[in-house]
Amino acid sequence: MTFLLQSIFNGLLAGCIYALFAMGLTLIYGVLNFVNFAHGELIMWGAYFLYLFMESPLGLPLPIALIPALCLTILLGLSMDRFAFKPLRQANRLTLLITALGLSFFLRNGAQLFWGAELRTYGFEIKRGWKIFNISITTNQIAIILTTLVCIAVVYLLLHRSRIGKSMRAVSDNLELARVAGINTRRTIRFAWIMSSSLACIGGILLALDTNLQPGMGMINLVKAFAAILLGGVGNIWGALLGGIVIGFAENLGVLIISTGYKDAIAFGIMVLLLLLKPPILYGSQD
Amino acid sequence: MVTLLEVKDVYSGYGKIEVLHGVSIHIAPREIVCIIGPNGSGKSTLLKTIVGLIKPKKGSIRFFGSEISGKDPEEKVRMGISYIPQGRNIFPTLTVMENLEMGGTPLGDPSRIEMAIREIFERYPILNKRKKMKAGSLSGGEKQVLALARASMIKPKLILLDEPSLGLAPKVIDEMYRQINSINQEGATFLIVEQNARKALRLAHRAYVLDLGLNRLEDTGEGLLNNEEVKHLYLGR
Ligand SMILES: Nc1ncnc2c1ncn2[C@@H]1O[C@H](COP(=O)(O)OP(=O)(O)OP(=O)(O)O)[C@@H](O)[C@H]1O
Ligand SMILES: [Mg+2]
Repeated sequence: MTFLLQSIFNGLLAGCIYALFAMGLTLIYGVLNFVNFAHGELIMWGAYFLYLFMESPLGLPLPIALIPALCLTILLGLSMDRFAFKPLRQANRLTLLITALGLSFFLRNGAQLFWGAELRTYGFEIKRGWKIFNISITTNQIAIILTTLVCIAVVYLLLHRSRIGKSMRAVSDNLELARVAGINTRRTIRFAWIMSSSLACIGGILLALDTNLQPGMGMINLVKAFAAILLGGVGNIWGALLGGIVIGFAENLGVLIISTGYKDAIAFGIMVLLLLLKPPILYGSQD
Repeated sequence: MVTLLEVKDVYSGYGKIEVLHGVSIHIAPREIVCIIGPNGSGKSTLLKTIVGLIKPKKGSIRFFGSEISGKDPEEKVRMGISYIPQGRNIFPTLTVMENLEMGGTPLGDPSRIEMAIREIFERYPILNKRKKMKAGSLSGGEKQVLALARASMIKPKLILLDEPSLGLAPKVIDEMYRQINSINQEGATFLIVEQNARKALRLAHRAYVLDLGLNRLEDTGEGLLNNEEVKHLYLGR
C-alpha cells in the first residue's frame, strides 16, 4: 500500500515536470506547426544556466540566479528561431525536423564540451522532509509541485487575459486569418518562443532539483513531452498539461507491473502506440 | 468615375504555379461587385492577392489611387481593407468575444475595441448572447455572422468576401445578404466571390465572370443574370 501511494506521488511529481515540457513544446507547435525537437536542449541549457550562476565564482542564491538563467534560456530560444527556424518558414516539415535534430545534437555536444558528461547537482543537501501516510516528501518535491501550479496559473492568465496571449491563440488557430485581422504575427511568434523557453528553463531546473544535471537530460525527457502532446492533441495546451501528468503516472505506476528498468520505455511505448493508432478522439481539439 | 480599388493586369499564383494570367477589375466607392466563375478559376486567388496574402508577380493594385500591391495584409487592414476567407473564417478555439477583439486589433486602444464590440452586439444580438461561447461551437449561420462582424470591427472601407453562402441553408443565406446590403447602405464597399451566383448577382451593382484565370465577362448584376451564356454555363440551367 505504501509503495502504491509512493508511486502515485512520484507519478504526480514526474507528471508536473513533463507537463511543463509538453506545454512549451505544444506552444511552438501551435504557432509554427512543427515539433521543435531541440526543445529538450532548452530544458537542459536552462538547468545548466542556473548551475552556472549558483556555482563559484558567482555563487548566487537560487531565487536570484533564476533571473539571469531564465533570461539566457529565453535568449537561446529566440536565437534558435531567428537563426535556424525563421529562415525556413516556407520550408517543408522534413527540413524543419532535420534542422531541429541537428540543432539538438549541436547544443547537447556544446553542453558536454562546456561542463563534461558527468552528473552534477545544485549542491543542496537532500533534506529528510516529512512522512505523510508513510510516504516521504522532501521540500524540493513540494517546491516542484507549487512551482508547477504557479506556472500553470501564469500560462492561463497570459493566454486568456492578455492581448498578446489571445493573439497567440488566434495565430495557433489560423495564421492567415490572424494576419488579415491585423495581428502582428512576428511579435506573437516571438512571444511564443519566450513562453516556451521559460517553461523549458523552469521545467529543466525542477527536473535537476529532483534528479541531477547531465547533458542528455533534455533529450530523454523530450520523448516524454512528445508522447504527452500526442496524448493531449497536438497544439492543445491543456491537453499537453493533462498528457504530461498521465505520462508521469503511467511511468511510475507501470513499474508496479513491469521491471523498473523499463521505466523510460513506457513513455516511448505510449508514443509509438499513439503514432500508430492516431485515435481521432485524441486529435479532435484542432477544429 | 472615382475608383476605390483598381486591379490592373495582375499575374499571381502559388510558387511556380501561375493562376491569374492578367486579371483587371475596378470598384467604385459604395458599390457591391460580384465575381463569379467555375471551380478553380482563381476567384479566391484574386482576393488573396488583393489583401496581400500572396504578392502579385506583375500588374498593379491601387487603393484610393495609391499602389498597394507590395504591402502586407497587416498594413492593408490598417488602410481599411477587410477580408473574409472562404471556409475557415473564424478562430474556432477563441470565444465569440475574443474573435471580435482580434478583429479590432488595428484599433489599438482597448476602449475603442470595447466600443466597437458594443456596436456589434447592438447590431447582432445573437453574438451578444453567445459571447462567452467557443466560436467553433456556433451554428453555420452564426459563424458567418461572426466572420462578418469580425471583419466589420475596423469599420472597413472595402470588404472582400469569399463565398459567404458556402454550406448555408437558403434562409440563412437570405439573412446573410440582408446584412451585407445594410452594411453597404452605411457606406462599405463589397467585393464578393460566389459560385452559386444567383443571389449575389441580384444584389450586386456590377459583376465579373472569371474563367481559367482570365476576365471573361463584365456587366451589371442584372445583365449577367439575364445573359444566356452565363445562365447556361454558370447558373446551372
Ligand atoms: N495554396 C495553394 N497552392 C497551390 N495551388 C493552389 C493553392 N490554392 C489554390 N491553388 C490552385 O489555384 C487554382 C485556383 O484556385 P482558387 O482557389 O483561386 O479557385 P476558386 O475560383 O476560388 O475556386 P473555388 O470555386 O473552388 O473556390 C486551382 O487550380 C487550385 O488548385
Ligand atoms: Mg475559392
